[in-house]
Amino acid sequence: MTLRTAIIGYGKMGRIRHEAMERHGGFEVVVACDTQIDPDATVPMVTDPLAVYGYDPDVIVCSVPNMMIPDVVCEALARGKHVFSEKPPGRNSQDVRRMREAEAANPGLVLKFGFNHRVHDAIEEAKKLIDAGTMGDLYFIRGVYGKAGGPNYAQNWRNDPEQSGGGILIDQGIHMLDLFQMFAGRFTEVQSFVQRKFWTEVPVEDNAFALMKNPDGVIASVHSSATQWQHTFRLELYMRNGFISVDGILSASGSYGTEVLTVALNRLDKDGNPIPNPECQEIRFTEDLSWDKEAAEFHAAIADGMPVRSGTSGQALDVMELVEAIYAADPEWNAQLKSRVISAAE
Amino acid sequence: MQTPVFLDHLPDISTVTGRKPELYRLARNRALTDLQLNDNAAWHSRSTCPACGEDIARSRIFSRNFLPFHRCQGCNSIYSAKVPAQQELDRLRQELPAASPPDSGEDREFEFISLLNWISLTEARTETRLETVLDYRFCSQAPGFEDAASRLSHKRSWRFLPLQAGAEDGYGQLRQVLREHAPKAVLVQAEMDRVADPALLLRTIRETVAKGTVVFIGTSCADGLEYEILGADSPSFIPLDRLNLFSVKGFEQLARDSGYTVLEASTPGRRDAVLLEQHFNSAENEHIPFWSSFFREASKDRLRDLQILLQRSLKSGVMRFALQT
Repeated sequence: MTLRTAIIGYGKMGRIRHEAMERHGGFEVVVACDTQIDPDATVPMVTDPLAVYGYDPDVIVCSVPNMMIPDVVCEALARGKHVFSEKPPGRNSQDVRRMREAEAANPGLVLKFGFNHRVHDAIEEAKKLIDAGTMGDLYFIRGVYGKAGGPNYAQNWRNDPEQSGGGILIDQGIHMLDLFQMFAGRFTEVQSFVQRKFWTEVPVEDNAFALMKNPDGVIASVHSSATQWQHTFRLELYMRNGFISVDGILSASGSYGTEVLTVALNRLDKDGNPIPNPECQEIRFTEDLSWDKEAAEFHAAIADGMPVRSGTSGQALDVMELVEAIYAADPEWNAQLKSRVISAAE
Repeated sequence: MQTPVFLDHLPDISTVTGRKPELYRLARNRALTDLQLNDNAAWHSRSTCPACGEDIARSRIFSRNFLPFHRCQGCNSIYSAKVPAQQELDRLRQELPAASPPDSGEDREFEFISLLNWISLTEARTETRLETVLDYRFCSQAPGFEDAASRLSHKRSWRFLPLQAGAEDGYGQLRQVLREHAPKAVLVQAEMDRVADPALLLRTIRETVAKGTVVFIGTSCADGLEYEILGADSPSFIPLDRLNLFSVKGFEQLARDSGYTVLEASTPGRRDAVLLEQHFNSAENEHIPFWSSFFREASKDRLRDLQILLQRSLKSGVMRFALQT
């Protein structure tokens, strides 16, 4: 089945999705929308998001800034279109709830969000190892995800809270939080420190630290940073029988290094106590297949009625609520947020 | 196909170059000499590489000591130009009471754990339940393995098939046990390099087990730096135990030609660096550009870094394959 596809937001992400859909072969991109027409585009382009519906698409790919996502997604669902949307799913949990209402009103349609880290090879391998029961009960998770700001950091819409909803945590750290909840379920207790240290003129955080606990007692700590001068992705999961870590993540920028999964099962002494520094198995992944896997899952959900497993609206809501809980758990940061809301209202 | 790297501490050099390993090498070489002096012994001459099938005429001589060995130009495997009958090989192994390599305490236990963890992690990654495993002969080579496997495998039952004089081709009992017990996995550790016809062993297993069975192979690796630099002088090169020293490429081809799917290939050897360090420090006059000074000056950290690099490059002296029927 070939799905006629319209891409709303034809920037970096929209083009990455376009390429993945072309590789898949089950999509035909019939129109793309952005603020400016690209004369070199290989598909017809429009500047009015509503104009894409004139091309009779089956599918809308939503790759727009966060504050526009709910409108684009809800409009598409209301018009009977399947929707693939980038993360974060809007600016806050209220945005997600609004989209979930539109989804519920159109039960025959597929809505999927692009939490592509779930389907990176190293992450999928880690999930398999845990699901098999080999590693034993999960004890704790540590995650560090950070980058060195970015070009035009201060001017970028991502760092305008009115457009993005927050800073590095909602933009990049949200992937790590989504992975935490994929491995451990929902976290219900949260402590945090949220800071603005380097880009002090920018009204969003450049670092967020959080410590969380789920109802089973699994502890997780995350550090999401825009002052991580050495780009870093590191996820560690410690279980009763050993540990798993994922260092590096294959990305469009290529700056987070090769994706390396390290797994070790403990060696026990004669009394059954773990001997330090067990033999580790290291597996390296060098090709980012996550975009292709997301396109394939989205297509299978529409064409074959297969369930969406990664990037459901329920997962989107869970992770957005966790982001909000982290912002709220730092009293100083929370006070700043509230005063900003009051100022905006005035 | 995945290529895992097995990271661990470097082994104690005495486990490879001490008096007990030396005695073992001498005993095996004496057995080979006796066999060659026996006019009644049957030998099979090889005309092609046992891995990739390349004509022996297109190979290079690797060694002429005890037996002529060739290095295949097609796949880099090393192999003897002639092999005794499998029954004869089995008899020689049985007649040597000290045939098993010397026990090396914690390292041996760690080797067993490494094998058991390898099976557990491959099981999880392939999402296949391997409840029953047949060990083919490794228990004879490593007396403590049976105890370790039984002690450390909680959700897995093991059956052990020790070295025994068997049918004419040596695999009658293997066929029988595979049929009777239908294991989900078969471990063939330190065996593939010392059988007369490795293709026959692989074929026998594949034709007898159920589809989906996982076969774990551990064997020597001709691509290892120890063989590249030391050649037949490597203390690991014991002719009677290295009739087939496969390269990664060669064994992969043999496995595919034998009808297997290759799930994993790795070279988890830990000894190349320490062997070479020991070699160059004991042979002061030997000079190989770059390598002799490298090893004479190397700290333990640098040796470990090199060993990890070798593993990541599939260039250490031991390899593992996980195959599926």
